[in-house]
Amino acid sequence: MAKRRRRGRKKSRRKVVSRRPLLIRIALVLALMLAAYVTYLDFQVRHQFTGKRWSLPARVYARPLELYAGLELSAEQFVTELKALHYRPVVSPREPGQFSRNNNEFHLISRPFDFWDGQDASANVRLSFTGGKLATLTDAGGGKARSLLRLDPVLVGSFYPAHNEDRVLLQLDEVPISLTDALIVIEDRNFYSHHGVSPAAIARAVYANIRAGGVVQGGSTLTQQLVKNFFLSSERSLTRKINEAIMSLLLEWHYSKDEILEAYLNEVYLGQDGNRAIHGFGLASYFYFERPLAELDIAQYALLVGMVKGPSYYNPRRHPERAIARRNLVLDVMAQLELVTAEEAARAKASKPGVSDFQRKAINTFPAFLDLVRRQLRRDYQDEDITSEGLSIFTTLDPQVQWQLEGVLGSRLKGLERDRGLEANTLEGAAVVTSVQGGEVLALAGGRDPAFAGFNRALDAHRQVGSLLKPAVYLTALEQPQRYTLATLLDDSPLTFTARNGVVWEPGNYDKKNHGRVPLYRALAHSYNVSTARLGLELGIESIIKTLRRLGVEQKLNPYPSLVLGAVEMTPLQVTYLYQTFASGGFRTPLRAINAVLAADKTPLQRYPLSVQSAIDPAPDYLINTAMRFVVREGTARSIYQSLPELVDVAGKTGTTDDLRDSWFAGFTGDRLGVVWVGRDDNKSTGLTGSTGALRVWRDLFTQFNNSGWVQPAVEGIDYQWIEPASGLLADSSCPDAVQLPFIAGSEPVQYASCVNTNQALPDPVDWFKELFQ
Amino acid sequence: MKLSTFHRIPVAVLVLILVHGCSTAPSQQHPTPVVEQGQPLSAQQPPQEPQAPGYAPAPASAVTAHRQVPAVIALLQQAEQQANAGDLESAAASLERAIRIDPRNPVLWYHLATLRLSQGEPAQAEQLANKSNSLAAGNHAQQSRNWLLIAQARRQLNDRSGAAAAEQRARELGAR
Repeated sequence: MAKRRRRGRKKSRRKVVSRRPLLIRIALVLALMLAAYVTYLDFQVRHQFTGKRWSLPARVYARPLELYAGLELSAEQFVTELKALHYRPVVSPREPGQFSRNNNEFHLISRPFDFWDGQDASANVRLSFTGGKLATLTDAGGGKARSLLRLDPVLVGSFYPAHNEDRVLLQLDEVPISLTDALIVIEDRNFYSHHGVSPAAIARAVYANIRAGGVVQGGSTLTQQLVKNFFLSSERSLTRKINEAIMSLLLEWHYSKDEILEAYLNEVYLGQDGNRAIHGFGLASYFYFERPLAELDIAQYALLVGMVKGPSYYNPRRHPERAIARRNLVLDVMAQLELVTAEEAARAKASKPGVSDFQRKAINTFPAFLDLVRRQLRRDYQDEDITSEGLSIFTTLDPQVQWQLEGVLGSRLKGLERDRGLEANTLEGAAVVTSVQGGEVLALAGGRDPAFAGFNRALDAHRQVGSLLKPAVYLTALEQPQRYTLATLLDDSPLTFTARNGVVWEPGNYDKKNHGRVPLYRALAHSYNVSTARLGLELGIESIIKTLRRLGVEQKLNPYPSLVLGAVEMTPLQVTYLYQTFASGGFRTPLRAINAVLAADKTPLQRYPLSVQSAIDPAPDYLINTAMRFVVREGTARSIYQSLPELVDVAGKTGTTDDLRDSWFAGFTGDRLGVVWVGRDDNKSTGLTGSTGALRVWRDLFTQFNNSGWVQPAVEGIDYQWIEPASGLLADSSCPDAVQLPFIAGSEPVQYASCVNTNQALPDPVDWFKELFQ
Repeated sequence: MKLSTFHRIPVAVLVLILVHGCSTAPSQQHPTPVVEQGQPLSAQQPPQEPQAPGYAPAPASAVTAHRQVPAVIALLQQAEQQANAGDLESAAASLERAIRIDPRNPVLWYHLATLRLSQGEPAQAEQLANKSNSLAAGNHAQQSRNWLLIAQARRQLNDRSGAAAAEQRARELGAR
């Protein structure tokens, strides 16, 4: 027995001895695992919270409107711009983003804005408009004239990351205190005293919910809500709850209340716009009220805070009565806690929610232009940077011009189809408008439907350019003033050219006639093919290709004679680049859609500066532009002056291709260049020439611009002479049909036409000009 | 940082130069003498040569350019301040704003050229000065300034004979 007992004791002792280490070991292992797990969570919390917290889409802005006395802008255009900026009309402006209007008089308080070259402060100004111009700009305070005011730019689009989260990042000091007060009293009253989780809050929530007979209060702290949104999936499980609690404690351990609150304000989910998720109060303010958070009132803060509990259930657009009831409850609580006075709460409760009509802001307003912006950005940035680094992209887009372009393109194409009995919606079009000297793309249409984000014809439709190429041929000639001038007679009689390979080329004129000997400027003005072809062969195809290269044409060019008549395919944007060089006085000017890029913290990242490269001497450029002005004064584009005042110099060229497949017009005034293409996507005949199609669109557009008189100023080394067109010889103003033509000094003809009485001294052109200025 | 000309020209003079840059303001004012790059500029700027109009002669009022003088002067002053503070790229941005308002004003292109030269971009500086020249028909004082700048740019590019030729042009124009 003793043995047994002993054995038994031994046994039991052994049991005790072996059980204890095992428990300790398990506990130790568990503790280690827990510690490892907490360390892992801690790493996650710190890594994600300290590092980049959000991927921010890039914001794309139009050019800022520069206001100054003398600016060509009508009161109506000004209002359109203010609408796009979501400035609010009020009786008497008191805050940034407000304006009042009394006929042509405005009072406006502008918003401050971070530009590439620094912040522009808010300004309180009065403006008056007369005759389509901004007449005066004065400071509202002292009434002193103000030389310039740069408004904040219109947001025209965003480039989103793949997961489609969108937000406007705010710093805590940018968030109105009444909003954070309201948020804290509704969502987490003990926010400033708890350590991440709040058992008291849970108890209070349960009590409050029972008393209210429904869920009016949640038990999660703001920290827990942030952790849930920030680090965890949306599944409802115990593990997740535990993770949430641990991570909340960790977050509170490492970070200050302010940092947590700021993150919360930016992270909280507040709605859905198609597949775009609306995160943070900053964006929610724009999404629901179309203005920055700082411009909202207490009722609107209460509405947004009320939505935190259920953005879809309390959606003020879909369920306004629920949203208002919830807002009023928030206001009651605020009044109870004396965050607002009873009167303020009562007034706020009586106010309308003021939620803007639903607009799908995620759809970029000008997809074709944004396409160009994105392509230019890709030269310098990775796609990921474009969509997630929160870049601010300042573009050259002029929304006024863009709206005008979209309007005229759609309506003119529709009108052309109707007038010519074409099947509806078969015509397509594309257009580019730039500033003449700066090469900035002001507007761009990729098709007749401006909202369509697909095939961008302005950038991707490669079409034959036809006669648009002729100015390059004539320029090649005019750069040899000893051989060619605008008055040189060209031979337009029938031409048969046999190439070395035996192929016979017999170009014909569009009117199927030959015109004998015609002065050079007139051959271009009327776009005669035969004389142009003969001139091109005389000059040599290679020299014309060289000219085209200098003008900025980069694509493959086949050295066939047909090149001189435009047998080359180009996109509207490429044509614009070519004509930009003519228009800007012979300087090749890169076409820019972007001016500058700012990083998310508003520090300058990159500027796309204005640069120029001399390509044509000013004098021959002046001559070719003069010839292109004759295209408009008397040639294929003369219908322009049915709409535009004759005081405006317009230079341009029509283009028509075989079987009337493509209709082109490229033309410019003193400040803008426009290139328009009209055709069909299936490349069938449209029945339109350059004059009857694209030109009409161009004319409609440029008629909308302010066209106070403008005359192309002469350049040095140019003299004007009277010329008799039929002979190309010197004439005087008394000769019938005589025209004044510019010549590179020394290249003018020396012989007089028979109409001139050579006994009489010719008037000196310089005296004539002096008269003009007296 | 060495600024070529920008910080040496008082605003009042800039304003005068700007007004003089207007091809349609045949003003009888003369800019105060400016010593620039050691080259005395002619204080007696000759009256502007009349401009040849285009095809359809228009009344002189229609030829008016550079109409928005106060806004442009404000931006030019801002550019000057930014350049003096060493922020050349912001100064360039301000000048581009001015050019957007008054794109044919040779004075603005000239100042953009001086900035590019200060930033070590002599090739672009020369191009911008060419651009200014192309817009300054009849304005010999401006052309002379442009050629001086081109001379500096060419010297930076080690083109000595080109620089000498440009200086010669500047002198000829300055003497006119």
